[in-house]
Amino acid sequence: MASIAQAHEPRFPRQPGTGYPLDDNRGTWGMWLTIATEATLFVLLFSSYFFLENNKDRWHIDEPPKMHLAFIMLAILVASSFVLHWGEKQLKLERYLRARLALGVTILMGLGFLGVSAAEYLDHWKELTPYSDSYGSIFYTIVSFHAAHVIVGLLILSYTLVMPRYSPALRSPYRPYHVASLYWHFVDTVWIFIVGLLYVMPNVRVYGF
Amino acid sequence: MSSTAIAEKLKSEWETPRSLWGKLATVDHKEIGIRYIVTAMVFLIIGGIEALILRVQLFRPEQAVVSPEMYDQLFSMHGITMIFWYAQPILSGFAVYVIPLMIGSRDMAFPRLNAFTYWVYLLSGILLYIAPCMGQAPHAGWFSYLPYTGTRYSPEYGLDFYALSLILFTISMTGGAINFIVTIMRMRAPGLTINRMPLFLYSTFTISWVSIFAMPALTAACVFMELDRRWGTHFFSIADGGNPLLWQQLFWFFGHPWVYIIFLPATGMLSMIIPVFSRRPIVGYHWVAAATMLTGAVGFSVWLHHMFTTGMSDMAMSFFSAGSMLISIFTTIQVFAWVATMWKGRLVMTTSMLYAVGSIALLVIGGLSGSFTGIIPVDWQAHNTYFVVAHIHYVLIGSNLFPVFAAFYYWLPKMTGRLSNETVGKWSFWLMFIGFNVGFFPMHIVGLLGMPRRIYTYPAGLGLQPLNMIETIGAFVLGIGILVSIVNWFTSLRTGAIAGKNPWNADTLEWDTDSPPEPYSVVHIPTVASRHPLWDEHDESYDPDNERVFDHGRLTLVSTWLDAEPYAISKMPEETISPLLVSLALFGFFLALIFQQMWLVLASLVCALLLSYYWLWPRPEGEEVA
Repeated sequence: MASIAQAHEPRFPRQPGTGYPLDDNRGTWGMWLTIATEATLFVLLFSSYFFLENNKDRWHIDEPPKMHLAFIMLAILVASSFVLHWGEKQLKLERYLRARLALGVTILMGLGFLGVSAAEYLDHWKELTPYSDSYGSIFYTIVSFHAAHVIVGLLILSYTLVMPRYSPALRSPYRPYHVASLYWHFVDTVWIFIVGLLYVMPNVRVYGF
Repeated sequence: MSSTAIAEKLKSEWETPRSLWGKLATVDHKEIGIRYIVTAMVFLIIGGIEALILRVQLFRPEQAVVSPEMYDQLFSMHGITMIFWYAQPILSGFAVYVIPLMIGSRDMAFPRLNAFTYWVYLLSGILLYIAPCMGQAPHAGWFSYLPYTGTRYSPEYGLDFYALSLILFTISMTGGAINFIVTIMRMRAPGLTINRMPLFLYSTFTISWVSIFAMPALTAACVFMELDRRWGTHFFSIADGGNPLLWQQLFWFFGHPWVYIIFLPATGMLSMIIPVFSRRPIVGYHWVAAATMLTGAVGFSVWLHHMFTTGMSDMAMSFFSAGSMLISIFTTIQVFAWVATMWKGRLVMTTSMLYAVGSIALLVIGGLSGSFTGIIPVDWQAHNTYFVVAHIHYVLIGSNLFPVFAAFYYWLPKMTGRLSNETVGKWSFWLMFIGFNVGFFPMHIVGLLGMPRRIYTYPAGLGLQPLNMIETIGAFVLGIGILVSIVNWFTSLRTGAIAGKNPWNADTLEWDTDSPPEPYSVVHIPTVASRHPLWDEHDESYDPDNERVFDHGRLTLVSTWLDAEPYAISKMPEETISPLLVSLALFGFFLALIFQQMWLVLASLVCALLLSYYWLWPRPEGEEVA
């Protein structure tokens, strides 16, 4: 059985008296499953959007949402994912300072996203509120759910940033970093869909390509 | 080291301190499993009492035992309690207790998450039951259709409690599902490959995946309902572009898979129990495993059959009718496998087996009436009548309550170390079986005669009276039968015969541990060489060099998900009180949200956040990322 253990490159030294390296994978699996269930939540929110939209007589998009701020937010989030991914690569090379730096930059970009998001809300609120009609209700619910996920993602990232690193034999920050970045990439991906479905599509419908 | 010295060392590593702190902070799956079971049984009793009051009210025409408003609250609480807070958690309880033993692991993959999901489950139930204590219970049935549940017709707090306690409940169920999936995929003993897994693992694995994809629909539906009720949005109000059918779509997208979530693990239990008491391996192992997983998958394409009367295209109705029919094929595969197993085997009619056989009978009746209602014209006729009530109870009691009682008689000796009284158990079975059929079979007829469900009384002279009287008597006999078993289990705690390791001469790994198992479960992590580890020649605990003892802290083995080849060791967490504290903070959050006390909402959110940080904060000793 020891040969099987060797086949998997151990990231940690073997645990004393066991012959096996330490498992560092269950948290990643847990995060993937969390992402699966959260992604389903967003799929269902989008489905609700289209279900309500189907009620054509009472679905008022007089003026489709303006897209420029949404695209700026998209650029910020996607760029932050690349920064975070670069940080993770640095971590694998054991360049811890760079990895933490990347994490810090990602958090700042996330905060930037929330800032632009607030401006977008203020701008949008003049034309549409959650109380106007069903379109407003579902629109604001989806973007607010996403904003809440961004906040949760930032909380997870900041936790990873300040997490201490006890002796490397016991614990490498690599896995928490990986788990946190998985969640952040998921949050980014959701925004891509929101921009496509909630911002671009109504504009395409009204103005054509 | 001698084996007793090793056992002592393992015990000192794994034992939970016997103190109040130990009780609140335990992460032991055996302790948590029993808590799940006890809590769910308490909800079963509460829900049962509610049902009996309903039956007393319907005993004679035009009675006024309870007021119409009270009746509405009672049947709603009965349904909500039974379907959410009893039916699934009881199965989770058995799974949490048995699965780590069954796969030769020392705990679940995420023990602290396990404690957390239990506390959240308990607190969500308490949150729900605050409503009836305020005299404002939910009153719109367990599926709470809009627009009746909007503030216009239901201004009380009942449905806010409904929506928010269900959101809390989904947190518990989703966490539990994640825990089961990772446990079953990663923690299996060496050699317990995917084609040797006991069928109970297949069913729990399937419903955990179903939960992952079904629970968010309930969350979304409840969020929309609460936003509409208290925050002024327009998801369901027609006048402002909303659509009340959105609730039904989301609720049943969750709701029908939920039926399989509370059904499949129980069939998994039957697939464990029937072969053991037929003294042979199950017939068609692969077929049963495949049928289980296909039921879970196809369960996502049947939900519209709850809505055939709402008006939809013929195409949609045909598709969902066909989906519903398809499910019955998978269930039939399982039923035939059980029957063939019994046919080919030599039966040992213990109480557990009696319950198992009884449940097959009830399941077949419930399945047939289900096939009726899957046919669109019949559905139109039977919709909202007692026929549907009869169907749901035959399915849920046949495929949940009876298997659960079979499981009690089967696994309780493992948990308590003592056998239950068989004679009393058989009395209990016959009382329950006869009482149930007397109580619920007439509902088919009453329903076809046109008696609507959820109606607090009926006029005399419609010919409904004799059948309703019989139903009430049957319901009480069923209740007495349940009570007999519960008393039986409690008295057996003291007076039962000592069970020993393997009283049933069963085949799976949990019967290789002591009864009750030690805190560390097994001294040597077992190896498995066949589908029936305890029936073959291979010695599971053969380990002359103590290579699979792992007594340097709380350790257990991690293996690959297909072939179960060990490749890593996982450190298990110590006792911690943070899961309880986080769940209390979440409870405060949802309670404050119901009454819209925004400062309290914010405060409990910050508490929950800080406590989660405390939970996850790495300690110099101990390694866990959950």
